[in-house]
Amino acid sequence: MEVAGARKKKAWKDRRKCRLVLFLFLTFALLFVVIFAERFCPYDPNLQDMSRSLQPPSLAHPAGTDRFGRDMLSRILIGLKTSVASALTLVVIITVTGTAAGVICGFCGGILDSAVMRMADVCLAFPGLVIAMAIAALLNGGITSAVIALAAVSWPKYARIARSRTLTLKSADFIAAARLAGSSSAQIILGHILPNSLGPILVTAVLDIGAMLMELAGLSFLGLGAQPPTAELGNMMSGGRSMLQTYPWVVIGPGIGIFIAVVIFNLLGDAVGECLDPRGRQEKPGNYINRKGENP
Amino acid sequence: MEPILEVKDLTKKFPQQGKGDFLAVDHISFRLDRGETLGVVGESGSGKTTLAKLVCRLTEPTKGSIRLWGQDITKAKGKQLRKTYQNIQMVFQDPVSSFDPRQTLGAGIGEYLRNAGIAKGEVQARVTKLLEQCGLEAEFARRYPHEVSGGQCQRAAIARALAVKPEILICDEATSALDVTVQRQIMELLWQLRDSQGISYLFICHNLALVQAFCHRVLVMRQGKIVEEGTADEVILHPKTEYARILADSVMETELLVGEP
Repeated sequence: MEVAGARKKKAWKDRRKCRLVLFLFLTFALLFVVIFAERFCPYDPNLQDMSRSLQPPSLAHPAGTDRFGRDMLSRILIGLKTSVASALTLVVIITVTGTAAGVICGFCGGILDSAVMRMADVCLAFPGLVIAMAIAALLNGGITSAVIALAAVSWPKYARIARSRTLTLKSADFIAAARLAGSSSAQIILGHILPNSLGPILVTAVLDIGAMLMELAGLSFLGLGAQPPTAELGNMMSGGRSMLQTYPWVVIGPGIGIFIAVVIFNLLGDAVGECLDPRGRQEKPGNYINRKGENP
Repeated sequence: MEPILEVKDLTKKFPQQGKGDFLAVDHISFRLDRGETLGVVGESGSGKTTLAKLVCRLTEPTKGSIRLWGQDITKAKGKQLRKTYQNIQMVFQDPVSSFDPRQTLGAGIGEYLRNAGIAKGEVQARVTKLLEQCGLEAEFARRYPHEVSGGQCQRAAIARALAVKPEILICDEATSALDVTVQRQIMELLWQLRDSQGISYLFICHNLALVQAFCHRVLVMRQGKIVEEGTADEVILHPKTEYARILADSVMETELLVGEP
């Protein structure tokens, strides 16, 4: 009975690892496709040929062609590249700035902390996408302004996580020990606080890639992100939305592209979260079983 | 004997919401001589830990002064504070949480050595030497704090505190989290260090039997004040105040309980 319990627990852990490996593999496959997107394109994604416009999927054009006769598969691949690259850039930007702001605020406290955190509260109080739309509209358009706009509203989440971790860690004995070691505040932040708060921040970041992909595509769909003729999944869907009933592949193709990318990143985020879960990390063998054995 | 540490009128107030300030440490003065062991006893919440943190400047005092070798360190900052930490070190109650969970014990000890200006190449040899001095094998340097027992971890913590060759070691309930046999081993280690290196201890503890055996002088603290002061035997065997008597009695009673099952 007890042995079976242990085995079951181990199998469960292994399954978690398997999931992580599988989704990591899928992510790498996606990144591979995205990085070498040009190599996979059967046609030039920007080559117009009005004589072949709006053709349904066929052997020559597996995903059909759009209004200007451009090959949809090529455009989806390039669009995926634009979307994923900008989403990853965005996540890196907000993770770095949010974490830096949160750690410094939590560590130093005082007026700086109050000021930055009230700013973060303001960002959190409004619906993010609405402010992002306003900011993107103020900037001169293009995918860069969409990234900046979303970065401006998305960093508070990271600042909050980093700050709360920092506040917990700040009063820990090992930070006092580091002070006694004669370490400076910068040394303590870089050497002890950051490494110990990175876990939850990274999980949030990986989980956020999918959400950021969606929001970027959303802004582009509204015409506030990538501008035509740049191939980007959001604006491709936007461009084809009037043809949804007559030529559905023009919208469905990019939709499937977003769907696949978002699902892969979300599943990866879940798997990473599960593996870093503190409940799964205590590797004291038989702790649970012993307790059960004592009280029959 | 010359005093190595002199504390005068040390006070720490914590602001409380709604109520007045909470006096955690209330005008405390004492001196610690070279090679002497000064015990601090008192119930939980009597301000012992705050006192320890004040003395090694982990918290800012509200009032009062701390002098090390006659030099005022109450307002020490930056370089001067780093220098102070070459002389005053602390051993914490919970050894495991006094090490960074993501660093090996060796890296934790190495941080002290590197900051003290020891060359990189020499650090590892010094770590090994320090660990051996505290009765641990060299391979413990590669272990993580959660991979060793409490007693082993506390030995590593003592090794770490000794890295900078301090003159004063503050032990904040250093043996309370350990079981009795391990406690005895750690006490023997502290004893041996006192004899071999002439370290002065500020020994915070609530185990009066241990205090009686280990300390030269004892301070009894209650509600942030020193209520009694004297040699260990005086205070514990012939307490003058009611509070010290209650403290001493409570230990005797436990011993009686243990003695007669």
